[in-house]
Amino acid sequence: MFGTQARGEVSHEFQPPLMQYWRPNIYTRRANIIVKFQDLYGFTVEGNVDDVNVLNEVREKVRQQGRVWWALEANKGANWYLQPQISSLSEGIGVAALKLSALANSITLKKLIRKGIPPVLRPKVWFSVSGAAKKRSTVPESYYNDLIKAVEGKVTPATKQIDHDLPRTFPGHPWFDTQEGRAALRRVLVGYSFRDCHVGYCQGLNYVAALLLLVMKTEEDAFWMLAVLLENVLVNDCYTDNLSGCHVEQRVFKDLLAKKCPRIAAHLEAMEFDVSLVATEWFLCLFSKSLPSETTMRVWDVLFYDGAKVLFHVALAIFKMNEEELLMTSQIGDVINILQRSTHHLYDPDDLLTVAFDKIGSMTATTITKQRKKQEPAVMAELDQRLRRLNSLKMDDKPDSPRE
Amino acid sequence: MATIGNNNLNAKLVLLGDMGAGKSSLVLRFVKGQFLEFQESTIGAAFFSQTLAVNDATVKFEIWDTAGQERYHSLAPMYYRGAAAAIIVYDITSMDSFTRAKKWVQELQKQGNPNMVMALAGNKADLEDKRKVTTEEAQLYAEENGLFFMETSAKTAINVNDIFYEIARRLPRAQPSQNPAGMVLVDRPAERAAAGSCCS
Repeated sequence: MFGTQARGEVSHEFQPPLMQYWRPNIYTRRANIIVKFQDLYGFTVEGNVDDVNVLNEVREKVRQQGRVWWALEANKGANWYLQPQISSLSEGIGVAALKLSALANSITLKKLIRKGIPPVLRPKVWFSVSGAAKKRSTVPESYYNDLIKAVEGKVTPATKQIDHDLPRTFPGHPWFDTQEGRAALRRVLVGYSFRDCHVGYCQGLNYVAALLLLVMKTEEDAFWMLAVLLENVLVNDCYTDNLSGCHVEQRVFKDLLAKKCPRIAAHLEAMEFDVSLVATEWFLCLFSKSLPSETTMRVWDVLFYDGAKVLFHVALAIFKMNEEELLMTSQIGDVINILQRSTHHLYDPDDLLTVAFDKIGSMTATTITKQRKKQEPAVMAELDQRLRRLNSLKMDDKPDSPRE
Repeated sequence: MATIGNNNLNAKLVLLGDMGAGKSSLVLRFVKGQFLEFQESTIGAAFFSQTLAVNDATVKFEIWDTAGQERYHSLAPMYYRGAAAAIIVYDITSMDSFTRAKKWVQELQKQGNPNMVMALAGNKADLEDKRKVTTEEAQLYAEENGLFFMETSAKTAINVNDIFYEIARRLPRAQPSQNPAGMVLVDRPAERAAAGSCCS
């Protein structure tokens, strides 16, 4: 199972009691006790019998969705979803027809992805639709192995922080508690810290990379997914230096909340509750610390296909789903408890995604790009001013002042 | 031990300090009485609340446990704004973490609520043989800067409840209004847009 592995090949033939039904026995049904069990990705879930039932239903839905994908493969041919870009098709009489079929495929694909990619197909589909495959194809095949070899044994501030966080990344997970699991996660994070020294290592990426490792079959693919995520899918500078990209996203999110959920936004503002207090973690960890694993994966399915605006949809949906309860709150602690309880129990991904896309309504990428452009100068000014203030603190320092 | 009317106080408390100093562990020990050898790294911040009875009053702490990595610094004002108290945590086995703690103190003195109760916690006090920061040095620094100081161990629970009790005791009482934020003296009504300029 977790046997020795060649570098680059993640050895998690990691099969948690896959798709096993957990049958509540008569006693647990009678007393509504909390049970602990492993979910699809090996995470320990604590829930009551209702939660278990929901999870079993979700597993059944995953299986049905799998059948839909297989049927399409039979119909359209294997790998139909790995269609090349329309622009790359050569000219000729057939172009119009090809374009049409590519378009039809992409419409089908969009719908299918919203309903979830079957776990076995995730590595292949993510790798293709996110652009990771394309990114990797632009460098020599040995890129990842060369990189890992070149950085082996090097110590930087980033590697120190990574080492510090390894045992603190999903502790208790059966694979990440092993030497192999941690070593694989380390190579991906350290490798990336050298690929982009502006990012280096940012806390939060440990969780993201860990989940990528669990999904993708190889360490190398997890690395490229991380790269495409940071370099293409997400907004720039989410994880660099002063997290400026993250600040921008938070401001955009606040505007969107005011527009899409005006009652909640007004209520929270009256309480002087800044939604970034909770949403920052969602955006930096891409929900991996808040949502159950399959729900997170479903969010990522859409994220890799539709881009970073998906994060707004999902964050808005979490508020929207709890609207009535949130409007009753008068204390900050209550707001946080409601949101936490809700996110931890979102075992059925469809509950979340239906609200995220059908109820929240569409937001075009262009609108969001405009919003970001609008917020950027304000964020930069704020961060800059802060930096100057901090520097002025240093100037007042006593001679034995802290270095750096 | 009256717990009514003006004797109930809500106080926002923030924990700041270097990554891995043990902020989350201190909170976990205080709130749940637990300790985990490997505590998940905190991203952004985590929220907890805990109520203490002190003399004639109850104090409900609304605790913000923040992320320690340097780059998360830019998020910190969101958490310490309006805080009635702060615990600045360092790891007694790491001089760097002590240096970082001093920076936090400076920043709070300049930017934070002027009536903030500040505590300095030298955590991991159980690791005496790996100690890098002496008690005397930290004590002296604390005295010079008007903080109160305790060495704590989230692992053995030494001084953990005590530091929170001591903060609760020191919180200014008899607030004229019962504002849930504890302090809103320097806060402006406007939110983020004004945040950049609200240095006071």
